[in-house]
Amino acid sequence: MKKIRVLIAKPGLDGHDRGALVVAQALRDYGMEVIYTGLRQTPQQIVAAAIQEDVDAIGLSCLSGAHNELFPEIVSMLKAREAEDIIVVGGGVIPWEDIPFLESKGVQKVFTPGTPTKETAIFIEKAVRERDGVSEEVLTPPKKIDHIGIAVSSLEQALPFYVDSLHLQLEAIEEVASEKVKVAFLKIGESRIELLEPINEESPIASFIEKRGEGIHHIALSSDNIEDRLQELSARGIKLIHDKPVKGAGGANIAFLHPKSAGGVLYELCEKDTKEAE
Amino acid sequence: MTTDQKDFHKQFEEWKALTEKLLTKFPEKKEEFVTSSGIEIERLAHPNVLDESYMKKLGFPGQYPYTRGIQPTMYRGRTWTMRQYAGFGSAEETNRRFRYLLDQGQTGLSVAFDLPTQIGYDSDDMMAKGEVGKVGVAIDSLYDMEALLKDIPLDKVSTSMTINAPAAVLLAMYIAVAEKQGVSQSEISGTIQNDILKEYIARGTYIFPPKPSMRLITDIFAYCAEHVPRWNTISISGYHIREAGSTASQELAFTIANGIAYVDAAIEAGLAVDDFAPRLAFFFNGHNQFLEEVAKFRAARRIWSKIMKERYGAKKAKSLQLRFHTQVAGSTLTAQQPDNNIVRVTIQALAAVLGGTQSLHTNAKDEALALPTEDSARIALRTQQIIANESGVTDTVDPLGGSYYIEKLTDELEEYVFNYIEKIDDMGGAVSAVEQGYMQREIHQAAYDTQKKIESGEEIVVGMNKYTLEDEPKPELHRIDPELQRKQIEKLQALRTERDSSRVSARLEELRQGAQGDANLMPLILECVRGYCTVGEICGVLREEFGEYTGV
Repeated sequence: MKKIRVLIAKPGLDGHDRGALVVAQALRDYGMEVIYTGLRQTPQQIVAAAIQEDVDAIGLSCLSGAHNELFPEIVSMLKAREAEDIIVVGGGVIPWEDIPFLESKGVQKVFTPGTPTKETAIFIEKAVRERDGVSEEVLTPPKKIDHIGIAVSSLEQALPFYVDSLHLQLEAIEEVASEKVKVAFLKIGESRIELLEPINEESPIASFIEKRGEGIHHIALSSDNIEDRLQELSARGIKLIHDKPVKGAGGANIAFLHPKSAGGVLYELCEKDTKEAE
Repeated sequence: MTTDQKDFHKQFEEWKALTEKLLTKFPEKKEEFVTSSGIEIERLAHPNVLDESYMKKLGFPGQYPYTRGIQPTMYRGRTWTMRQYAGFGSAEETNRRFRYLLDQGQTGLSVAFDLPTQIGYDSDDMMAKGEVGKVGVAIDSLYDMEALLKDIPLDKVSTSMTINAPAAVLLAMYIAVAEKQGVSQSEISGTIQNDILKEYIARGTYIFPPKPSMRLITDIFAYCAEHVPRWNTISISGYHIREAGSTASQELAFTIANGIAYVDAAIEAGLAVDDFAPRLAFFFNGHNQFLEEVAKFRAARRIWSKIMKERYGAKKAKSLQLRFHTQVAGSTLTAQQPDNNIVRVTIQALAAVLGGTQSLHTNAKDEALALPTEDSARIALRTQQIIANESGVTDTVDPLGGSYYIEKLTDELEEYVFNYIEKIDDMGGAVSAVEQGYMQREIHQAAYDTQKKIESGEEIVVGMNKYTLEDEPKPELHRIDPELQRKQIEKLQALRTERDSSRVSARLEELRQGAQGDANLMPLILECVRGYCTVGEICGVLREEFGEYTGV
């Protein structure tokens, strides 16, 4: 695939280019071709450079407070020169209350201080691919909560509460060898409750119960493109338990994210091979 | 007692005599300093046996090599100058903020100019679009400067101006306003930053190429040595080098290398080192690594005094003393959980005080988001006042001196710096190193390394990559009047029609002649300013004569 080309530009008179230079280098390390304009560029100069260099995106950096005047001017000049397919993003010292205004003027995204450079790279990559119609790579939000996993010491003891007292419908009981658990699925609306019983001492569920007692163990999100998603998550610096999907209950492809990166919650991504009967 | 020790003892007696003499003129704040437990606090704690290592490396405060401070009594005699950098919008608005800060107990002014002023453009210049009054106050002509300094007694207040490429123009305006107040130029005191080399390296508000820029700087040195003796003619700045991402040792090394270049240029212009060296000041960053920062300030004094003595043969004590301003590190402030910044600022400011700073700016907590509000500016000032009045660290001189760790760091930083200076000397000095982009590359590499460490979590930034909040509250921010540029342009255009335009063109023509020859430009610029020529017009003439720098 063609390398993405980005122009990093400093509009206005601001001389702070630490951020611009760091982002330029990070985008290069990510595999993009980056041109840096240097300081003190007028909107005209930036637009001319972008067109001449045939870039896919422009990254604007401004720390002087002139963003509200200069960023929209660049976007509208691009339009005037029929180059509005060039994606414009910005960053710098930009107050939160200015962001909706800038976005309404056609700046696609404003990255505030503290944004990891990878996030910027991924955003530009996605926006460019989307624009070029390489849309199968675009990840859609997870569809629903596939199930909520609850750790129990014994299915036999736990099930009567769910089936008799709550009147939930027991769908199936099966063993998942890879996770050393026996699971029971109870249907509720379009989701399920999954009761997990450890098969032996080595089961992750056994150590969970030992540390924290019985209770909610994980939330599973029904998603497609698990492999791409895992790649993207890892690029964003999110810790994973599985960096490749493994086989879970019902033959689904599953992968767990590390709770350290998810505010203490254990998430599972779960992709079923065939469309299930609703 | 060995001969050495006799010498050391003599030096000690000299220091005591010097201190006593100073005390009769400038008594300390209290007769007696005691701790809460009633323990008497000595002015200076030092080893009982004065050995060679102590005397060579540390000595006594106010004595070569000044490691422990430039005055014998330091903050027991006088607290550092609390100098908060401020300026935004119009001259009238900034004047109000200045008077507010003076009322709140601030002891010196520090003017922030907007970018068009700093780069020599008038507010109605095409290049100024969107920038007027944003990062500082917009000054187009003497008329604005009069409004900026209205009712501020210039014989009493010292003023620091962050101005570099057009430093001569703004200094001339300050002199002209003082004259109108009836204060002569020999009475005013303050500082202009006037450090162009770090603009090429890190800050970006250059106008002319290095050579004519160095000429403007030495013209100011020469003019002030004769006419404005209380003015600090340059503030050689490591601050922006550090903000651009350098390490502490690079900050120190590149700043001192730049200092050497200015001294060389002034000597080459025919000035005697002891005539201008006492007016050289420095400006450092107060950053996060607390102990390294304390060591950095102490090392800076020792290095500079050695260079002035050994490399340049300076004789006057004031030529050997490195005086410095500190601003705490803006780049360490986070936009996330901005209240945490108050704590960062406190720690950084404390390092500057323990390092013996002469003046200090503490940042406001919201500076990663916008210009400070009045509330946040007040908290920043209060932070200094708490350190000065409540912490007790001002009761004894150089309290961390003698710590094994601090002394080791001080020694090692000194070694790092001398290695860098040797390297820069080999490249032909700082001007040539800047032209080759050497310092710029070193700084960028360090900045990128830091960014990677933050993103991998190896370096923790509290509230940003660890201990984060889901929903950040949105603080109230200071806004600049969006109408400001229009109003400023109206004022400027009114001035253009009202002033004596034949006088303006005559003065500008004289300046052009001067620039083509080798006259000192300072008196010519002063005449332009008195005739209400604008910053853009004066710099425009010089641009035509000198050309413009466009980066490496």
